[in-house]
Amino acid sequence: MYFVLVSVLACLASCHCFIERDEKNENHCGLLQHWIESSLVSMEIIKKGFHREVETTVELSPDVHSGVRVLLLHRWPRGVYVDPYQLASLSDLSDWKIILDSTIDLEGPAHKTTGFVTFVYPTPDGPTPTLLKVTIPIHGRYHEPSFVAETFTSVEIEPPELLLWTEKCIPLNNVEPHEVMEAPCTHHNSSSCQWVKQQHQQKVKLYSSYSGVDYRVPLDASSQFTVIFSPYFCSA
Amino acid sequence: MERLITKLTEKHVLFTASFVIRLALVAYGDYQDKTMVVKYTDIDYHVFTDAARCITEGQSPYNRSTYRYTPLLAWLLTPNIYLSMVFGKILFIVCDVLSGLLIYKILLLKGLGTEAALRVCSLWLLNPLPIGVSSRGNAESILAALVLGTLLCMEARHLMWGAILYGLSVHMKIYPVTYALPIALSLRTTETRSEDKKGMKSLMRFIRSFFNQELFLFASVAAGVLCMLTALFCYMYGWEFLHETYLYHLTRRDIRHNFSPYFYMLYLTADSGWSQWLGLAAFLPQLILLLVASWAFHSDLSFCCFLHTAIFVSFNKVCTSQYFLWYLCLLPLVIPHLSLSLKQGVGLLILWFAGQGLWLGPAYFLEFEGYNTFLWIWLAGLLFLIINSFILIQIVSHYKPTQTPQRLKVE
Repeated sequence: MYFVLVSVLACLASCHCFIERDEKNENHCGLLQHWIESSLVSMEIIKKGFHREVETTVELSPDVHSGVRVLLLHRWPRGVYVDPYQLASLSDLSDWKIILDSTIDLEGPAHKTTGFVTFVYPTPDGPTPTLLKVTIPIHGRYHEPSFVAETFTSVEIEPPELLLWTEKCIPLNNVEPHEVMEAPCTHHNSSSCQWVKQQHQQKVKLYSSYSGVDYRVPLDASSQFTVIFSPYFCSA
Repeated sequence: MERLITKLTEKHVLFTASFVIRLALVAYGDYQDKTMVVKYTDIDYHVFTDAARCITEGQSPYNRSTYRYTPLLAWLLTPNIYLSMVFGKILFIVCDVLSGLLIYKILLLKGLGTEAALRVCSLWLLNPLPIGVSSRGNAESILAALVLGTLLCMEARHLMWGAILYGLSVHMKIYPVTYALPIALSLRTTETRSEDKKGMKSLMRFIRSFFNQELFLFASVAAGVLCMLTALFCYMYGWEFLHETYLYHLTRRDIRHNFSPYFYMLYLTADSGWSQWLGLAAFLPQLILLLVASWAFHSDLSFCCFLHTAIFVSFNKVCTSQYFLWYLCLLPLVIPHLSLSLKQGVGLLILWFAGQGLWLGPAYFLEFEGYNTFLWIWLAGLLFLIINSFILIQIVSHYKPTQTPQRLKVE
């Protein structure tokens, strides 16, 4: 009899614990959803020519807890590249860390390479401030020469996706309409976590520098292709 | 005695001063790298250091992307990781000053007086271009020292050492392989009796003149050194070594802008079926000119090698300012034989710099301002080629192959 009573009490206690944890979980997941909705991501491209810098600013909600991790996911087009060696020397001087999803061909032209993805951790260790700024140097690739009189081509750079993670909202549920996405937990890339991804449409602002967020790369204008080519052979 | 002491002091002053200047710049470069956004150290130095780091971790140096040199260089720079990052730069500036010493010794052997030889080699030792290049961490001075060492040994008839140094320099960079023909022509048996005009017989005699002991010794030692090093690194690093160190440079078709006017043609035709043939065809002007230069000037090996290198660099499919050092280190050997006046010499120098400046302008606007200046860069490249050809023609037409070279004209 007592045994039954004790086991029922134990069951009730653990159920209560689970419910409490679930409630806390739901609270934190709700908070996470609120934070991701109220965060603002803006991007600016500075400098000119083939060597530019992409400046991303993230404004988090002021009530963000310190245990929240931030991840910026850039999907880069094939018209640009980052130099992993330059990034390695920069990461010694800056507080953000970056990992790449593939090896970068530093010399190939645009039409012979592919786009790539970078994971940027603005504050890998320590408390999360509400204003984060990350500046990534990028370089333009040579593009295929054009056979019509185009002297420039555009490289479209999308703003990064903002992802948030907190250990207090595991597993992630009830974060609609935001997506849940797998990504490395930290820049050490030793494990994978589930992150909440911000929905783009509502909260992203794009600031254009004088040349626009579109990055214009000079292209040789080879509508004179045959004109340039033949004289070379005649004189050689 | 007093004059001798003065001369010794002068020599010591010159060499010490040139080393101290380079050392000071290395120290300044370290400071600039730490405090300013624009770095003093060349990107190549970081490539070498990263490759050396790969070696210290037991990996291939070719794991470092864009490392396209002999593994020997990365091995030489492993103290960069174990001791200090600055080791490599110290090595390069020592080789730079050593090159100056080798120039001095060659000039003395050729019959120039001490004072004149010192004045001529100060053109290298106090020249801002090699000073800047080696203090920034480029490895060109190692090759300059090897090539000058080869020429010194040839001049002093120490053929075995010359062959070893020659094999080593060809291993480090491909371009000294062009010196093989003038070296062979200078080592062959020269005819003492009057030549028979009959075509076949004189051709046979010509071919037979190449089969002598000296040439055989030189060829076998040089080839032996080269083959040994190639075999060793092939064994250690495999196909990657052959590809990155040699094949890449032979087949490279750099579409990005550089001094060579070929870049534009290669960019436009990169995806066409003709690009391979065009790449090969671009070797023809170089080859023809090198053959002609070898035949005409093989009696003065230093002058011939200078011409070879200048032709090679100017007509190459890719040309960057680092390559200029390859022939600039040989220019002091040539200067005493030139009957150019100081005014003419300075005029040619200004023309050479002007050609580079005219290229650097549109290149800057393309790379850092984003303007489409491809056509201007190409035209500037063509103009630079014309200027280089003009300068070479002037040098050749003012060359006096005398036994005792003229003293440097100072006005």
